[in-house]
Amino acid sequence: MNNRIREHRARLRLTQDELARKVNVRRETIVFLEQNRYNPSLRLAYDLAKVFGMAIEELFIFEEDRE
Amino acid sequence: MLFISNFVLEILNLFVMKRALLVFVIATLVLVSTGLWLSMSSGFLNSFDVVTLGIVLCLVGFAVYIGYRRFQGARRGEPAEDELSKQLLRRTSSLSYYISLYLWVAILFIKDRVSLDVEELLGMGILGMAVVFAVCWIILNIRGIRNE
Repeated sequence: MNNRIREHRARLRLTQDELARKVNVRRETIVFLEQNRYNPSLRLAYDLAKVFGMAIEELFIFEEDRE
Repeated sequence: MLFISNFVLEILNLFVMKRALLVFVIATLVLVSTGLWLSMSSGFLNSFDVVTLGIVLCLVGFAVYIGYRRFQGARRGEPAEDELSKQLLRRTSSLSYYISLYLWVAILFIKDRVSLDVEELLGMGILGMAVVFAVCWIILNIRGIRNE
């Protein structure tokens, strides 16, 4: 699963720290998310989508399993 | 009303800080007990003691680094833990426990083949478990936990 968090964070001119505060997580979690090293819970995905004012499926891009 | 909410926030902040300070307290206790062990030894350190001391110092350094990160986070007003830190801790614990089982099997295997006391073997096992935990934590932090 990929995401467009970095892109939309830049659009809103938010720092990682500010975004972390808005969704009540540590800054490290935002770093992990932006580097695609962590898949968030549904709750966090919803909170992030709400901050960016968009639907979850617009923020997170699900890839088909290629096995 | 504002005074009460400020007071509650201060208490909460102290609690978060306390969790960060706990790591420093444990690291200090480990250093003090290592110092006691060194002062009670005959003064001459063999190679096993030197390796043990090196591992203990590395682990204390690791704990201080973790404590420093937590402390900085608490000062920035971040939560003491969130879903990522909980998952990292859970994954690290389960992975290191699994690997530690093999470590103890290996220690049981070498028990009769080396000239070490039971205390030294136990110490080696406990230190080994701490090293396994630290290594697992570092690997999971670098690799991330994508496929949950």
